[in-house]
Formats: sequence, C-alpha cells, structure tokens
Amino acid sequence: MGESDTIDRSAYTKVAEEGDVEEGRGIGVDVDGIEIAVFNVGDGDYYAISNRCSHQQAPLCKAGEEKINAEHTWTKTRGGVNTEECTVSCPWHLWTWDLETGTNEASGQRIGTFDCVVDDGDVLVRV
Amino acid sequence: MASAIKRLDADEEVPAEAFDVEIVDMDFHVNPREEELRRYVEDERALDRLSTEFGMWPIPDKWDAAYAIEEGNEGLFTQGRAEVVEDVQRACERFAIDEPVVNAGINGLPQQHHPVLKNAVLQAGNDYMLDHFVDEGVYTALSIAKWDVEHALDELDRWGEEDGVVGAYSWYDPREPWGHTQFDPVFEKLESLGLPLLLHGSLAFWPQHSYVGDNMLTWTEVLGFDWPIYTMVNAINMIMSGVFDRYPDLNVVFQEGGHWWLPFARYRMDEFYEMHPEDVKITPRKYADGERYLDRSPSEYLRDNVYVCTQPFALPRRAGEASDMLRLSMAKDTFCYSSDWPHQTLDPPTWFFNSRAFRDDQELRDAILHENAYDILRT
Repeated sequence: MGESDTIDRSAYTKVAEEGDVEEGRGIGVDVDGIEIAVFNVGDGDYYAISNRCSHQQAPLCKAGEEKINAEHTWTKTRGGVNTEECTVSCPWHLWTWDLETGTNEASGQRIGTFDCVVDDGDVLVRV
Repeated sequence: MASAIKRLDADEEVPAEAFDVEIVDMDFHVNPREEELRRYVEDERALDRLSTEFGMWPIPDKWDAAYAIEEGNEGLFTQGRAEVVEDVQRACERFAIDEPVVNAGINGLPQQHHPVLKNAVLQAGNDYMLDHFVDEGVYTALSIAKWDVEHALDELDRWGEEDGVVGAYSWYDPREPWGHTQFDPVFEKLESLGLPLLLHGSLAFWPQHSYVGDNMLTWTEVLGFDWPIYTMVNAINMIMSGVFDRYPDLNVVFQEGGHWWLPFARYRMDEFYEMHPEDVKITPRKYADGERYLDRSPSEYLRDNVYVCTQPFALPRRAGEASDMLRLSMAKDTFCYSSDWPHQTLDPPTWFFNSRAFRDDQELRDAILHENAYDILRT
C-alpha cells in the first residue's frame, strides 16, 4: 500500500522512515507484541505482513539477506522479495507469501497482513 | 495510548530459549568447491581426468527432483555455502547450534561409476575436511566408500584415530544393504575406533534408473519416501542379519531417512520375528557362528544401536499427538537433532521450543538435542 491523501495517524504506528528500508528488502518490528515484517517493493509502496512464516516460524523480515559465500551460489540471497509479483519468499524454505493477501497458494494457508501507508516520509502500520 | 514498538533483533532467527540449551547438529554440510577439492587430489592420473570439462561428478540424473522448489537445484544452497570454519560458525550462531558435526556432503559420489575417480574425490574431500575443520577443532564426520571396502578400511587407517573425527560418513542406497557380510571388516574397524557410522541419503540414488523410480515424478515421492524406504531396508537388514550381535557396540545413524517409521518397524519386526524365527539360523553370520536366533528382540537393536536424524521433523501440531509419536518412536533413545544446513530442507531447532511436547519434557528435548549425540559420537 502506498502514499495516502488523508491519514488518521492516530490509528497507525510509525515503524520506519522511507530511507530505512532498501527496495526489495524488509525490516522486522514488534508493535504491541505483534511481530510484523515491513517490505519496500519500490515506487514508494510498502507492505506489512506477519513476520512469522506459518510453516516453521521463520522470520520473514530476513528474506533477501545475502547468503554465506553468496558469490559461490546462484541466487545470492536467502529467499527474497519479488517486487513485480508483490510476494516474499521465506528465507528458510522459500514458501511464497502474497504480500497483499497473506496467502500461500500451495498450502492454502494465510498469515496476517496489516494496513501500511507512507505519510510525510514515515512508514506507518495499522495493527 | 501510543503503541509500544521495537525493532526486532536481526540476528535472532530461532526462539531465545534455544540459546540456553546445548544443541549438537548431527548433519551439517560443508560444500568445498570443485577447484578447491582438486588441489587435494594426489594422484596425477586421477587429477588429469577430474580436471576435464566433465568435472568431478559427471553423471547427471535423468531429471532433477529439485525442480519442485522455487530455486531448483539452488535449493542445495538455500542458506549459502560453508567452505571454512568461520562460515559454519556464522550459520550456527543464527540457529543456536553449539556443536555442528560437519561433513563434506559429496552426496552425488556413490552414483559415479569410475572406482578410481570416486575414491580420489572421496579422499580429497577427507583431506580438505582434515585441513579445514578437524585441525580447527570442529567435530567432523569423514567419508568412507561403500563401494570399496578396502578403500574404506584404508581411509579409516589413515585418519580414524584423529582427534576431532567423531564419526564415519557414508551412504545408504538401493544397492547391497549394509547388513551384507562384506561390510564386517568396516564394522569391526569402526567398533574398535569407537566411531559411529553415519549413513546419509545419496542424491545420486534418487530412485531414477529403475522401473519404479522412472515413475516417481515428484519431490514428495522421491525425497519424502524413497529415502525412508531404503533407510528402513538397511536398518532392518542390519538387525535381522545379526550385525549388532556380532558388533554390539556399533552405532548407526540414518540421516534424512525419516523417523516416524520407527513405530512401524519396531512392532512389525518383533511380530514377524517372534512368529517366524527359524530362518535366522541360515543367514550368513548366524550360520557361520552356529547360532539359532538373534540375541535379543529386533526392536531392542532399533532402540540401542540405531539412531535417526530428525530433519525434517514434521512434528504433529497437537502436542499430545506429538508426545505419543515420540514415545512410540523411542525418541529418547533414538532421535538426534540435525539441521541439514544449508539445504532447502533446513530444519532449525524451533520445534523443541515451540511445542508443548518438549516444554513439558525437557529430558526428552535434551536427549534429542545433545545427549544421544554425545552417547555415540567419539568426542
């Protein structure tokens, strides 16, 4: 979800500033005890989704992290964000999650998604 | 009221409690690069052939089951590629693994057909591991050839007494099961050295090149069930052919062969043996030793001499069901934690801290996470 014209900021929590999250990567935050991964998919669009993969509780915010000795591998990263498909694949077992719906097509499972907007350079999440 | 917010620790990938418990990882793969391995090939004739464009393991499979995962064959390196001690340490810190048992993981080797080249690569892998891990004090399982007993014995003579070598690593496959008497000299040697035999599934023996295997077209069949079938075949063959009567101190660890088959094998072996035991006396070892029956019930060898790695655990979600399965599997005596790092089937030790089956039974948790490993590894 991207820039919004009118934001009731009292309903949201600031989790980052735009420059904090590089494109194609994410951060993990704990908001009121809820772990959330926030991803920057480019063009000013950010998505917020449960930080824990339903399969084995891997931290999705690590998706896209460089592998150990990445130069000797093909894909270089542990899972990652697909900015075109708007999905994230888990850094442990590559389960792919739709960032808009929170669904994993193969298993039919779904994890939580959260409203996420950018306002005045702040990345905001509504829990 | 303002929300409470904090940035998550970027280095913490498993529950914090995992860092408070000692964790031994029975199956951690190091992946030396081919050009590095070639430096350890001593025989110039073998090196000449291994340096051609065909590489060190030239026989491809008919197809690759790894297509089933998003990254295809890159799934072998989903987490990266450990080449030296520092790489292993970095990986283990993320997952709260205290003591990895590393192996060179050349799991395509058994399928290669050329005996001289296979032995040269295996030996190079061992020398690489001796230099980079054993000498650095990392628990290491070095490889022995299943296809060449004499070479296996030569290798055990060469490094079997090295401190830091905690086990011997080989493979199970659809060929002669490990209960065959040709392996007795290996068992005798391992027993005398105090080394367990770690048997891993072989990539090369994904069930292709057979009528049944040609029709296994999915990862679920191939990795999910073919390996466990051959694990069962090998474990039961070793038990019923009297391996553990002749070598009672031998311990065998099956890696990536599943573990929930234990209740099935446990009860079925005893049932069949107790009803129909009269053929045991004409199996080769018993015949040679003039013995009529096994010394104990088959399930007792399963409990005492056979171990299985947990990866991938696939623990039932309901804790009561998980506890029942664990008890029936004799997990306190048979299960050893393994991560299988860096593969796509990686299994971080989350289960032991997220499931009430372990929160309510910390003895069981500790047995699987380190005690069973320490009981059998030569540390």
